[in-house]
Amino acid sequence: MASSFLGYCRQMLTDMGTAQRESLVSLTCLEVQELENIFALLLMGSFIGLPAPPTFLSVELLPFMEREMRILHQRAEDAHDMLAEIMGTLGID
Amino acid sequence: MRIIFFTGKGGVGKSTIAAAAAWQLAQQRRVLIVSLDPAHNLGDIFNVTLKNKRKRFSENLYLQEVDLRQMARAYLEKETNVLSDTYSYLKALNLDHYFSVLKYSPGIEEYALLTSIERAIREETDFDYLLFDTPPTGLTLRFLALPQVTVTWIERLTAIRRQILEKRYTIQKIRRPLKTGEEKRELRLSYDEKDDDILNRLLVLQENYGKLTAVLQGATCGIVLVFNPDLLSLRESERLIEGLGDLKLPLRLLVQNKVTEENRTIADQVAGALQQASGHKGPSRYVALNQDIALKGASLYNISEDLRSDLEF
Repeated sequence: MASSFLGYCRQMLTDMGTAQRESLVSLTCLEVQELENIFALLLMGSFIGLPAPPTFLSVELLPFMEREMRILHQRAEDAHDMLAEIMGTLGID
Repeated sequence: MRIIFFTGKGGVGKSTIAAAAAWQLAQQRRVLIVSLDPAHNLGDIFNVTLKNKRKRFSENLYLQEVDLRQMARAYLEKETNVLSDTYSYLKALNLDHYFSVLKYSPGIEEYALLTSIERAIREETDFDYLLFDTPPTGLTLRFLALPQVTVTWIERLTAIRRQILEKRYTIQKIRRPLKTGEEKRELRLSYDEKDDDILNRLLVLQENYGKLTAVLQGATCGIVLVFNPDLLSLRESERLIEGLGDLKLPLRLLVQNKVTEENRTIADQVAGALQQASGHKGPSRYVALNQDIALKGASLYNISEDLRSDLEF
């Protein structure tokens, strides 16, 4: 009983620690996501009329860009509700 | 190995001068002359059929015409096949052939040109001279600029990519490290530069284009500008010289083709203007207009002017 209680306490503390860490990195995570979004936009901007890099550069990197393209897509979907996006980022309910 | 590009406005006689120079150089050295102009004349000049295959014309002289359209097609076919493999389920619906529209992508011809130059420089190391007969000015400048433009793009993209990886690393550090056998609870992305496919690909491309730029700007490479004694040719040549200067490509020789007794005064003026524009970097040569265009054994087009000595830089 005692050991499982201690284990329970330890688990709780660890989880609290993890939660703290997660809230710390959340902003950096968002920054990374935005950077990846920019990266994809630069490479594939021709879809929306941005000046494109040499065509073959996009073609060469295309096979590795799955994650970036998902993010690009997600960002385009969320774009119409920026306010909610910012509120979510800042943790305002 | 020396690499020489013959450039100039369309119709000034680039192919003729290149062929004559190749023939003269081949008297002593091993020479490969490659025609990159989509309107190929090299075969006509030497009176042989080349059809995208290399041919040995004399002991030391090899001829080659590059079919750009076919190269572009081959490259895109490869990419299209990769796409079709990834989206292989489309085959079931018989929709995969719609990817074939990719072959109309703009910019692919320059890429094909650059690839063929890069391949020739890399593979043909047993020749003393590699001569390129280029397409008219516009396309030539665009593809000569391409390595540098691409390197700039790659540099910017690499910087962004490195920043992404750095931030991923920070995230990884703040989150506690995984114990052995522990399952990841959230998505953990690679942050090591060695593990990132995109960065690796970018670095490989950067190295390739960096090498090519270094070769093109180096001491073994030279540009020969061919022009005629007329105003249009002068203006376009001035623009070409300016473009070459911007790209830091070394101009070695100015060749004025189709000079006769009648247009000698104009020829002097044009040559003077171009010498000034180029900052007197290379010597200027006149080649006389010769009506006799038949190939007579060694004396190709009867061009008797010495082009060889100027090209042995």
